[in-house]
Amino acid sequence: MTDPKSIPALQGKSLQLGYLHQGVRKEILSDLNFDLYSGELTCLLGPNGVGKSTLIKAILGQIAPWKGELRLQGSPITLLSLEEMALKLAVVLTEPVFPGNMTVEQLVALGRTPHTGWSGRLQEKDREAVEKAISRTKIGYLRAERLSEISDGQRQKAMIARAIAQDGAVILLDEPTAHLDLVNRFEIMQLLREIAQEEQKAILVVTHDLEIAVETADQFWLMTCGNPLLTGSPEDLILSGKINQLLPSQKYQYSPKRGRLEVQEDIMEFPVQGPEDLVYWVQKALKKAKILGIPTEIRVKENPFSLEMNSRSFASLEEFIQFLKSNPRS
Amino acid sequence: MNFRSFLFPIAGFLLVLSFLLNLSLGSVSIPFGEIVRGLFTGVWEKTSWEQIILNYRLPKALVAICAGIGLSLSGLQMQTFFRNPLAGPFVLGISSGAGLGVSILMLAGTALGISLAGINSWAIATAGILGAALVLSGVSLVAWKVKDSMTLLIVGLMFGSAVSAVISVLSYFSGAEALKLFTVWSMGSLGALGWNQVLILGVLIGIGLVPVFLSVKSYNALLLGENYARSMGVRTQKMRWIMILSTGTLAGGITAFCGPIAFIGIAVPHIARMIWKTSDHALLFPGSALLGAILLLLCDAVGQLPGYSSTLPINAVTSLVGAPIVISLILRRNLSRDF
Repeated sequence: MTDPKSIPALQGKSLQLGYLHQGVRKEILSDLNFDLYSGELTCLLGPNGVGKSTLIKAILGQIAPWKGELRLQGSPITLLSLEEMALKLAVVLTEPVFPGNMTVEQLVALGRTPHTGWSGRLQEKDREAVEKAISRTKIGYLRAERLSEISDGQRQKAMIARAIAQDGAVILLDEPTAHLDLVNRFEIMQLLREIAQEEQKAILVVTHDLEIAVETADQFWLMTCGNPLLTGSPEDLILSGKINQLLPSQKYQYSPKRGRLEVQEDIMEFPVQGPEDLVYWVQKALKKAKILGIPTEIRVKENPFSLEMNSRSFASLEEFIQFLKSNPRS
Repeated sequence: MNFRSFLFPIAGFLLVLSFLLNLSLGSVSIPFGEIVRGLFTGVWEKTSWEQIILNYRLPKALVAICAGIGLSLSGLQMQTFFRNPLAGPFVLGISSGAGLGVSILMLAGTALGISLAGINSWAIATAGILGAALVLSGVSLVAWKVKDSMTLLIVGLMFGSAVSAVISVLSYFSGAEALKLFTVWSMGSLGALGWNQVLILGVLIGIGLVPVFLSVKSYNALLLGENYARSMGVRTQKMRWIMILSTGTLAGGITAFCGPIAFIGIAVPHIARMIWKTSDHALLFPGSALLGAILLLLCDAVGQLPGYSSTLPINAVTSLVGAPIVISLILRRNLSRDF
């Protein structure tokens, strides 16, 4: 998908980042290399405290790299003025946005700030960009609503629309799906994917939502303590098992089969017969209930679900587990 | 076209109305028609009326307009910059600074043998401006050092408290005569200024307003917080200087000439937000300016006590009249949601 000869929208070359705390240099990240390309949705994953926020600050130009270089569309970030940066990079941050009296449309129009004159008056092309951003994020029905009167998910979409209206090559989002419900989390990430592909934007999302990221991202950047940044398509990282680098303890493993994290407990397989999907959930429920063992084989049937043991039938797992607990010797 | 487009003409009309009302009230009753005729034709039925209107009431009304505009816009800038609905023109210690200058002149000055009779309104204004400038440069030094605007806000409040303490000490050791003079100054007055001083106040307000209207766009971006504003190309550090200099000139100049006037600066921006139902500074700046001028003209008119020769101090009137209005407005709507 990526044209190897094209200039990355955002590029990090042997970056070293850190803070000066009370006269002591505290290194956070070192020897960081990455390329972010247009048309791709890239997810940056990593545990808390690994330095994601530091990297974001460096990309925003708030801290200068100690070593190495950060280039935005080919130009080093340290040489770009605030105004030039604003034309190339738009952000959605984690900090809450306050102005309850502002309408969604006004919020999106604020994205045009770097493009307008001193008065902030919108020209024809600014209006077009605002309209496009609103229709792109499908929030036309919200345009006259005030920010205090819409839901968190809707507000996040409005913030994304604002970033699109800003019309930079790169959009950086810091945990855009935190605090959102499951459907909204999927919708936002799906939306970002569409925008990356159709508007040819380079989108970098910092997220902890591994499962949704696997579904939607083109590229993964895995940041873990002490290891170099691991990049690649999510599917490759899963198949090679490298995705498990994200999970420091052996207790949790990413299951390529189920597409999500699983707890690796002492393998205790119960004698369950039946369709594979059903067996999986029965095993899971029994493990969770800390059932130590069952005397005889169980049979599960689907449509309708039923469970049989010693010619006794149960209509739900809850009922079955209740029975096991009250008759430990059965 | 919606009803909001009519709000500005309505507010403009109300401004003219309250201006004329303000002119027509006073200890000497002058018929309303005579005032209008005199203003437009220059022909007055009595010379005493001409004297009263042209040399007392007219400059006072103009000062009310200037002070109303300046205080409201200082307050609005502070509220947006600090993203704090409780911020007002004086949170950075500007009024305490002006108070310090004036108190040194009146309280310490008498102790050093300067007679109270020698203190005219020019001396008071100069002392006020010097005091405000002193505190302002202290705050600016801090603003240069600190990165976080919340820290700046707290430091400003601390400066204010420290300066007030100095004033208390000065008051404690000063004579009854000087103390009364200072207390009266601290109650605020719009009427003590001659045309020359009105002119200077007008110029100060004009200078203070220029950066306000040049940074409408940046103030709108600042509504999302400093980080978002920076990401949209707004130089927030520069905005901090603009805000300090503009509010310093506006609020500092007004306090130096009129004494501290409470309430207007905090309340008017909120009322403007409620009336215009917007957070767009392109509307809020002119809206707050109009409302501030109207409100201060009306407060001054209320303080006139028709038929009596004395007037109530303006600082007391603004708070007495204003506080109930604002409380009732706030109770009806959720302030922080509107903010």
